[in-house]
Amino acid sequence: MQSSTLKRLLTGLSFLFIFSLSLNAQQGNAENGKKLFNTHCAACHKLDKRFVGPPLKGITKTKEREWLHLWIKDNASLIKSGDKEANAIFEEYNKIPMTPFPQLSETDIDDILAYTDDNPVGGANAAVQVDPALAAKGKGLFQTHCAACHKLEGKLVGPGLGNVSDKRSKEWLHAWIKDNAALRSTGDKDAIAIFEEYNKIPMTAFPQLSEEDIDAILAYTTAGMIKPAETTSTEAAEIPVATTKPLSTAWISYTLVLVLFIILLWLLLYSKNGFLKISAVILVLLVSAYVLFDNLMGVGLDQGYQPIQPIAFSHKIHAGDNKIDCEYCHSSAKNSKTSGIPSVNVCMNCHKSISEYTGKVASAEEKAFYDNEIHKIYDAIGWDPEKAAYIENYQVKPIKWNRIHNLPDFVYYNHSQHVTVAGQKCQTCHGPVEEMDEVYQYSPLTMRWCIDCHKETEVDLKGNDYYAKIHEQLAKERGLEKVTIADLGGKECGKCHY
Amino acid sequence: MASNKKYWKSVEELKKSSSIVEKLKQNEFVEEIPTDKFLGDKENLTASSTSRRDFLKYLGFSTAVASLAACEGPVIKSIPYVVKPDDVTPGTADFYATTMADGFDFANILVKVREGRPIKIEPNKDVSTGITNARVQASVLSLYDENRLKGPKANGKDTTWKKFDAEVVSKLNEIKNAGGKLVFLTNTCASPSIGKLIKTYGEEFGNVQHVVYDSVSESAALDAMKEMYGVRALPDYDFSKADLIVSIGADFLGDWQGGGFAPGYTKGRVPKDGKMSYHVQIESNMSLTGGNADKRIIVKPSGQINALLKLYKAVVNGISTRESSELNTLIDQIVKAGKRAVVVTGIQDKNAQLLALAINKKLQSEALDTVNTRNVRFGNDAKVKQLIADMNAGKVSALFMSNVNPVYSLPASADFKEALKKVKLSVDFTMSNDETAQVSQYVAAIPHFLESWGDVMIKKGQYSLVQPTIKPLFDTRQFQCSLLKWLGKKETFYDFLKSNWNNNILAGKSWNKALHDGVFTKEFEVPEFTSTVDVNAAAKELASIKGGKLELSVYTKAGLGDGQQANNPWLQELPDPITRTSWDNYLLISRVDAERLGLKNWTVDNGALNGDKVNISANGVSIKDIPVYIQPGQAPGSVALALGYGRTGLQKEMNVGVNAYPFADKFFHDIKIVKSPGEHEFACVQLQHTIMGREGEITRETTLAEYISKPKEEWNPKPVYSLDHQEVTEDKVDLWDKFDDSIGTKFNMSIDLATCTGCAACVVACHAENNVPVVGKHEIRVSRDMHWLRIDRYYSSDMTVEKGKEEGTFGTGEYFDEMTHPSDAPEVSFQPVMCQHCNHAPCETVCPVAATSHGRQGQNMMAYNRCIGTRYCANNCPYKVRRFNWFKYFNNDEFDYNMNNDLGRMVLNPDVVVRSRGVMEKCSLCIQKTQATILTAKKEGRPVRDGEFETACSSACPSNAIVFGDINDKSTEVSKKEEDDRTFRLLEFVGTKPNVFYHLKVKNKKEA
Repeated sequence: MQSSTLKRLLTGLSFLFIFSLSLNAQQGNAENGKKLFNTHCAACHKLDKRFVGPPLKGITKTKEREWLHLWIKDNASLIKSGDKEANAIFEEYNKIPMTPFPQLSETDIDDILAYTDDNPVGGANAAVQVDPALAAKGKGLFQTHCAACHKLEGKLVGPGLGNVSDKRSKEWLHAWIKDNAALRSTGDKDAIAIFEEYNKIPMTAFPQLSEEDIDAILAYTTAGMIKPAETTSTEAAEIPVATTKPLSTAWISYTLVLVLFIILLWLLLYSKNGFLKISAVILVLLVSAYVLFDNLMGVGLDQGYQPIQPIAFSHKIHAGDNKIDCEYCHSSAKNSKTSGIPSVNVCMNCHKSISEYTGKVASAEEKAFYDNEIHKIYDAIGWDPEKAAYIENYQVKPIKWNRIHNLPDFVYYNHSQHVTVAGQKCQTCHGPVEEMDEVYQYSPLTMRWCIDCHKETEVDLKGNDYYAKIHEQLAKERGLEKVTIADLGGKECGKCHY
Repeated sequence: MASNKKYWKSVEELKKSSSIVEKLKQNEFVEEIPTDKFLGDKENLTASSTSRRDFLKYLGFSTAVASLAACEGPVIKSIPYVVKPDDVTPGTADFYATTMADGFDFANILVKVREGRPIKIEPNKDVSTGITNARVQASVLSLYDENRLKGPKANGKDTTWKKFDAEVVSKLNEIKNAGGKLVFLTNTCASPSIGKLIKTYGEEFGNVQHVVYDSVSESAALDAMKEMYGVRALPDYDFSKADLIVSIGADFLGDWQGGGFAPGYTKGRVPKDGKMSYHVQIESNMSLTGGNADKRIIVKPSGQINALLKLYKAVVNGISTRESSELNTLIDQIVKAGKRAVVVTGIQDKNAQLLALAINKKLQSEALDTVNTRNVRFGNDAKVKQLIADMNAGKVSALFMSNVNPVYSLPASADFKEALKKVKLSVDFTMSNDETAQVSQYVAAIPHFLESWGDVMIKKGQYSLVQPTIKPLFDTRQFQCSLLKWLGKKETFYDFLKSNWNNNILAGKSWNKALHDGVFTKEFEVPEFTSTVDVNAAAKELASIKGGKLELSVYTKAGLGDGQQANNPWLQELPDPITRTSWDNYLLISRVDAERLGLKNWTVDNGALNGDKVNISANGVSIKDIPVYIQPGQAPGSVALALGYGRTGLQKEMNVGVNAYPFADKFFHDIKIVKSPGEHEFACVQLQHTIMGREGEITRETTLAEYISKPKEEWNPKPVYSLDHQEVTEDKVDLWDKFDDSIGTKFNMSIDLATCTGCAACVVACHAENNVPVVGKHEIRVSRDMHWLRIDRYYSSDMTVEKGKEEGTFGTGEYFDEMTHPSDAPEVSFQPVMCQHCNHAPCETVCPVAATSHGRQGQNMMAYNRCIGTRYCANNCPYKVRRFNWFKYFNNDEFDYNMNNDLGRMVLNPDVVVRSRGVMEKCSLCIQKTQATILTAKKEGRPVRDGEFETACSSACPSNAIVFGDINDKSTEVSKKEEDDRTFRLLEFVGTKPNVFYHLKVKNKKEA
């Protein structure tokens, strides 16, 4: 991953080099023009598409430069002067007058026009100037300082920060990040506007960040926006899975059974040895009784049960890859009888900011699949990921999970007893859940399985004052140091059946 | 103890040779399996189209299908919260303090809530009014009543609140403009906030009156208090401060003046330093209080009045007569006890109540408290009467009724119904579509108290809060909310309540703390008052009441009370503590009167009780086909009928009994009685679960004199056995080996028969905690009740059939000479019996599949899933405490009680399995509770504290008669109790070594 990013960045850098060469030939500074465009024009204009106003790409080719200067500075007077072109545009765009920009200098306008003339659409490659090492450092800083409230794309608590350096000047950003309150108090209009827009929730000040750190963060906000080049090669998917089928041993047993069966048949039909015949019959009866018994004992056993769940929730991704503690979601396991299936609001603790899957995927379809599963949570609770807000008066749709581990009603099982008191790992009974994409019933959950564990597991009598007296009695009077659960009555019927 | 004492449960046992009793001694199950009925009919069998072969085919096929079907488990959905409330952890219980106040029962309670569902009610023991009786315990099931109103109604049709409000408000405005009168007819709500609301209405509306109406009225006592002490409230009695308690027809251990006197009373019932209280009950019908009394003087209701008059004349005026020696002894005792005596009366007459107060005043009785009065009854009979007259005269334009059911419970019900038609606007605020709702124009569905906000002042200065523990289940709205809305106020009732508390009650103290505690106590001022009442005139007036030939009085039962919760199957199935009969009310009659009128009770061959029926009439009212129950200890010349039955519009199974309210207007009525044809089938459990003829040995009691003066061995002997022709004690002979249970916890339960009043709160608490099914009237009749905990009631007397014969006092025939018959004046003992958790349990050894086994903590464990239903264990149990699931009692239309609908099943305790058909069940000593307590201690890393271990019955017991705990820890209360001299174990000589032990009852017999 990293090396490929590096590669892409290097390619990008070489492109930039070629670009910068060609840029120099242009009138005006497209670099500055881009910033100006983003702050002044982008609200109504796009480069390649009609928006509020017309698309501006290559505008100098259709309109005179002088005319453009005039129009931008004060289009109203231009229209009034009876300029045909101006009036035509005015009519075409439903008589919505464009904001005049008298504050823009000639050079500013030239810069903007330079940008509209030959810029790359979408500005994807604008980031190539970013130093990868700096961006990497910035990523770390972003995660620790900013990610609680900001994403690159889309609003969270604060605005999305992708390509923020395109919208604001470096100096402004530095000042804002270090102490936005101070910036606001200077009467900076932009700063106040942002403050108002985000419901007057002030942003944390970061005086501790050095200039270099902020540069790094800004570098990341640009670099992070580079979409991984869409690799058409479905490399991972197309590599034939190198599976060597394990040599099956089943055929040996089948042959054996067949041979035995033939021998038995022969004995019964053709042999004249009475003893052998009787033995054969007894053998057949015994074997069938065993098979029958074995089958009957399996009735109601659901080991390996792996139902398809309404959401393809992967414990592997959550507990395995992201190492989320089991009890973060199953929080009642330590307090209660039930471990608790997390309610949707628990999912939302993280998934407010994680609206798409960013792990390794083999194909775009796979990512889309995961993203869709995440959106099922939003559907349940009524979260609008675009607006980053809960939908008001939303009719919530509870998620109907399929229960996997199901003890009969006549068994009482308490999670907190095993998790809090006994300190058992979840995996003892539930198996390697962190490796399961879809959870299945790992243990048989039979009474024998419970009892076997109760017979073997030693109880740590020390360190829990409840056992202090029992420990004393056992140690002093009986000379016993080690006791199992069964010794303390863990085998009694009524401890689990009531 | 008194070895010649004969104990019996049913009059049947007193007969010389009752085949039924003989059969029950030998057989646990009365009825033979009716195989003959089926197999004996050869013709039917041969004609059947299903041959034996076919049957086997079907059997084989169905087994195969069943086992194949079992291979595929069902898919079970788990649906978590979308947004989990912060204070809910699924799988753990929360407790909320609130208050029950339905106008009849008032209690500070804690509500156990699991996953947002209230499932159990516990008493709030931090408060003196935190006492739960059977009805308070059962009220949680009334929340999940299918019969509740699910939305507002207008003129009998369902409507929306919006329309409802618009119509009512417009009519109200009309009435207001016309200067009409608005009357609030409510139950005793004792609520400061409702009081304030109604006052606000008065200010807004002008012509407003508030009439308080109690179905079971204490108007007489209230009026007497008003005249004597200037406050119209009930006095409080602390019976622990009385050495001599004289009650004239006051069932103070039952519902007299709102009840709740058991804790104080029982404090004086345990002999301490050779002293205990002496309790004399002068009454007509056998009440719970009478059953607990040391001495019962049996008189007719008019005799009670005479007795009171005599006491008054002797104690206050100093005039005594020589008529009745019994009364004269009592008078001497009262005078001697002085301020340590107290006289209470249940005679519903203001003059009688005045007399009782005057006696106590004269004695300066310490038990009487007229300062800290009780607000549990406020009803005013005169005002209710006036209201009906006003309504008839067209003086009332609008009537708001809240939580009352006058059409059912008013003696003058028909008058009220007529008068209601003349009221322009009638709104009934009620939980169910009851008799009154059916004739009201508007019916506002109100929520259950567990869904409501509110406040109550049960005792003066003691403010309690009511808080909701669940979101309203139906489209209901509180009375208070409607009132606020119709005043045009925007604020919610919660805001109103909170601001009222903050401004007027809390005086700067924390609202949240008050809400958490459920109660807030505040000091108050006592105004001076000088009484001008002429008690002698009252006595004269009282003396003018004439007795009758057959006097009928009404009473309330521990189960149904005033009948508000009549649709509650737990209460219907609760056997009455005295008659041991459920699902009915009946006319209690004495043996003498029954014989005179040719009325009989008889036991049929399946052990069930049947009886004759009668028609009664008095006062222009007649009631037909009332079953007759011959009650031992009933005063000849008196009959009694329980209130609360005969409701209409309930689920059909609960529509039982007859309505006795028409007779509730006076203390007693002189009635005419005529036998009617037909017989009645009772659901009576008194002959059931007999103990193989060992009744005489099962309960124990002694007298105070013996207890003080004689050694323990005489009145509480240990069993002795004969081994090699030597008398040895129990530890020398044992069938079983000892086992070691000295490590860890070992549970023991102590039941003090001296303080157990038989109130049956524990029975309902057990029902709720352990998902015990309701089986219905028919099943109870055939001994298939499922109560894990029963309260046996034994009658006893020194007189036995044999002794009578020897002395020649008995006449001939089946019944005996009038006054010497054992059943005419029996003593009563109560004994709660649940599984005794024997260390050497006979049930365990006979189970062929080891489904019942012993735990080291002392609990006898029952693994339901292992049980195959042989019932050997029940047969071998000497205490008959095991219950068999004859049927599937859930999701079964044959048993249409709470477990047959989604709503009713919400009350089930998720920690206890619902047993299926064909398994045995029994008391587990609430193992789910003990295990939970141990787990909490383990999680917190500390030993279990004393008092933490509780069972449903021990926690519900108002008099602390049941104590539960760890016997291996010598510092616990139960360990100390075990060392008491009064300790005995049930049928100790059987050698079962039970983990439940009892303390024998001591009766204070002054004369003996």
